[in-house]
Amino acid sequence: MSWRNFLGFKRGSAKKPARDAQLDSELRFHIDALTDENIAAGMSPPEARRQAQLEFGGREQIKEELRDVYRVQIFDAAKTNLKAAFRFLRKSPSFSIAVILTLALGIGANSAVFSAIDAILLKPLPFPEGDQLVKLGQLRRNAKSPQTFVAPVRLEDWNRMNTTFQAMTGYYTEPESETTGELPEKVTRALVSPRFLQVWGVAPAIGRDFTDQEEHVGGPDVVIISDRYWRNRFGADPQILSRKIRMGTDSHSIVGVMPASFHFPERDVDLWSPIPVDAKIAQIRDATWYMVVGRMKPGVTVDQARANLATVQAQLAQQFPKSDADLDVLIEPLKETTVGGVRQSLLILFGSVSLLLLIACTNIVSLLLARATQRQHEIAVRYSLGASRGAIVAQLLTEAFVLALAGAALGLLVAWGAADIFRALAANLPRIEEIHLDARVVLYALACSIVVALLCGLFPALRGTKRGLSGSLAQSSRTQVSGRNRLQWLLVGVQVALAVTLLAGAGLLLRSFEALGRVSPGFEFAHVLTLHISAGWGETANINGLSQRIDRILDTLRATPGVENTATTMTLPGVPGQFTTDIRILEGEQDPNHKLVAESRFVSHAYFDTMRIPTLAGEGCRENYDAIQVMVNRSFADTYLQGQMGIGKHIEMIGNSFLKSGEIKGVVADARELGMNRAPAPTVYWCWNAPSPDPNYLVRTVGDQPMTMAQTLRQKIHEIEPGRSVFDISPLSDHLDDAFAENRMRTVLLAFFAATAISLACVGLYGTLSYSLTLRRREVGLRLALGAARSEILKRVLLEGAGVAALGCIAGCLLALAFARTLAGMLFGVTPYDPITLATVVALVLIVAFIASLIPAVRAAHVEPMQVLREE
Amino acid sequence: MPTDKSDLLQGTLDMLILKIVALGPVHGYGISLRIRQISKEVLQVQQGSLYPALHRLEKRGWLTAEWGESENGRQAKFYKLSPKGRKQLQAEESNWERLAQAVSLIMQTAQ
Repeated sequence: MSWRNFLGFKRGSAKKPARDAQLDSELRFHIDALTDENIAAGMSPPEARRQAQLEFGGREQIKEELRDVYRVQIFDAAKTNLKAAFRFLRKSPSFSIAVILTLALGIGANSAVFSAIDAILLKPLPFPEGDQLVKLGQLRRNAKSPQTFVAPVRLEDWNRMNTTFQAMTGYYTEPESETTGELPEKVTRALVSPRFLQVWGVAPAIGRDFTDQEEHVGGPDVVIISDRYWRNRFGADPQILSRKIRMGTDSHSIVGVMPASFHFPERDVDLWSPIPVDAKIAQIRDATWYMVVGRMKPGVTVDQARANLATVQAQLAQQFPKSDADLDVLIEPLKETTVGGVRQSLLILFGSVSLLLLIACTNIVSLLLARATQRQHEIAVRYSLGASRGAIVAQLLTEAFVLALAGAALGLLVAWGAADIFRALAANLPRIEEIHLDARVVLYALACSIVVALLCGLFPALRGTKRGLSGSLAQSSRTQVSGRNRLQWLLVGVQVALAVTLLAGAGLLLRSFEALGRVSPGFEFAHVLTLHISAGWGETANINGLSQRIDRILDTLRATPGVENTATTMTLPGVPGQFTTDIRILEGEQDPNHKLVAESRFVSHAYFDTMRIPTLAGEGCRENYDAIQVMVNRSFADTYLQGQMGIGKHIEMIGNSFLKSGEIKGVVADARELGMNRAPAPTVYWCWNAPSPDPNYLVRTVGDQPMTMAQTLRQKIHEIEPGRSVFDISPLSDHLDDAFAENRMRTVLLAFFAATAISLACVGLYGTLSYSLTLRRREVGLRLALGAARSEILKRVLLEGAGVAALGCIAGCLLALAFARTLAGMLFGVTPYDPITLATVVALVLIVAFIASLIPAVRAAHVEPMQVLREE
Repeated sequence: MPTDKSDLLQGTLDMLILKIVALGPVHGYGISLRIRQISKEVLQVQQGSLYPALHRLEKRGWLTAEWGESENGRQAKFYKLSPKGRKQLQAEESNWERLAQAVSLIMQTAQ
């Protein structure tokens, strides 16, 4: 077939008149020659011509047939192939449905995960020039503390002195009580520095940005509210710009409403207020409040910005050596900060669905191979009728493509529901609201279907059209050799191996989960409620007053019937959250090279009783801002105090100028404060009940159902603090559960994949075994006729299935061990090479293989030898 | 009408055409004439099969074609054997010999 003809459908149509003319001349020549012959034989010229034409046959007919020869060009061929493919698929509905459903599941799951990866990892942030946004932070050099908040005055310095940024802005959020109505309502308030909207590049949907006057001390109090707050609280009032809200004692005018899609810095922000840039407290160089986001100038790279800010900070270090000398500037693209944490999980998820699709494909290849073998007669006939190999392969590929396309279309429905599934399983995924089905996902599904069609269809098509097979026209199934099925058995083995790998992974994760549940936390979290009471950062101006207020709340709650004890803590126990600090013990020799590192936690004095953490030595502590007291845990005492209890020594937190040194008052037992999967670290408990205006309040109730106390607590607090709202009342156990939500999602998903993989392998084994036995029915019948026992046949078939499954298991175990390292970071209490898990998985797979082989084996053993031998 | 005219299978027709063309460039009429002559009028090809076969073989690349002047001065399309066609002819010839031998062996033993 020449290239020209292959591609020639366009050229063909242009050449049609020319070729037609040629055909005409060629045929006319032949007729003329015949006419001459007849004349030479003695006929009259008109009679000669008539005879010649008769003998020649219908000229138009021939021309039509000749045209047919050329019309097999790619466009028409494709149409014919498609029609034939549809016909073929309709003839074997169960086969088609099985393949389409399998592919729908595989391609659908793949597209779903791709839509998530596309929205979360690939697409830029939903802001104009989103790639120019970076997150900035300050870090004290050589300090272990992960804190990177920036002081407002330093932010202004950076903004003024840099050359690579359009603008920088800072923000933090805090809960606030809105008191416009009868009862105080909790709102999430974002306090922002100037240039906030400028950096994000988004303008308010209604109203305007803050003015310069409003961003300075003495200006009017204003807020911009979110779209959700506008709809929920104000019923989407069109006159919103004339209304005010009260927070605490102040009344704020609403000057703008943000668009519905804007919810930075946090998803549930209700309103934004400006912080006066010249407020006195904002001038302290050590007051680190802000999370900072900056917008780089167009064309500037992150490295250039990093170098520039390093220079700026160096200049500041010279100007203000005491506060700025050992500070480094951190810079990271904002998208990375937002999504970097989930990248690994998403990629593992993608790997799993792709593996699943691969398994489904091997299944389908097997099925298509079987089909191609059954159609050998048809193919051989087509060969003898003059079809070329390419044409037949094209036809078989079209069938595969139609199946794949149908599977992809169905799979898109699956992907459509994917966003809902993701929202249900992992509500905390960043940018989850951006996941939806768009053209890119559809294109991806299409690409998947093409790849699948080629992958699944090419090999069976090539195999089925091997020219030597045309000899089968004369051959009957008398001489089927089981060796022909070697390829299909290999595919089944591959499926079993992949299933074993996925099952092993799921098994390891499940065991980790179970081990976590058995761990002794070192504290008791049943019957404990946590809650928050709104407060503002401004209250930290009078730190002792704040502490007394919190004490009063704690005492009032403790006196309530049904409450056993109350306390506050900065970070909830058992919920992963680190606050690693550098510690110095004032007494004894100082080794400047040997920094002591410990977790610091801020708790009220009743914390240990409330959480039932036993005190091992010394007395308890009392809050006293001027002479801070601390308790240390046993790990700390063992590691740093050389076993002596160290009571009476003084500890200082390096790098914190707000806290003076504290006196060790006692030692408490170790508790898994960092999370159930982490061993307790040396910890210093600073006895201070007001590390922030709104710490976590812990309430230990007497009864079994702590949540029944919620209303009572709310009322009690309202009595003493009428202006504040109480929110986020929930059992501590809920928080502990949430902490492992991502872990749980991973485990559930991997278990789901493993289950699907093993069922696919099971179906594959069953199908291949059935098909192989169908081919060998005569062989089986012969054996039975020659005297073999039925149980022998049964045993042989079962062994065949078991053999392949065993080989697959071995391969799978090797694969699992090879990939064990990727899971290592997520396991707890099991090594990635755990033999028990592997053994259990192998046993499970062998049992499934046994069950899958049972039906074909029984069927084979019940073959009627006479009936089969008589068939031909 | 000769009663012992045989029907030709399509595969065989291809082989015959290739063999005739191997003897030298020839047009469609010439091929049908030669088949009749050489087979002593036993085989006669239907024009309805001849021309589709010719064009098919040309498309497959086993024949190449050129327009030229015939013996009586008219324009005719001449077919030549291509190197690929030559190889194909050799393959078909050996196949045919094997088949013929097998058939004749059976016919002999049956007697």
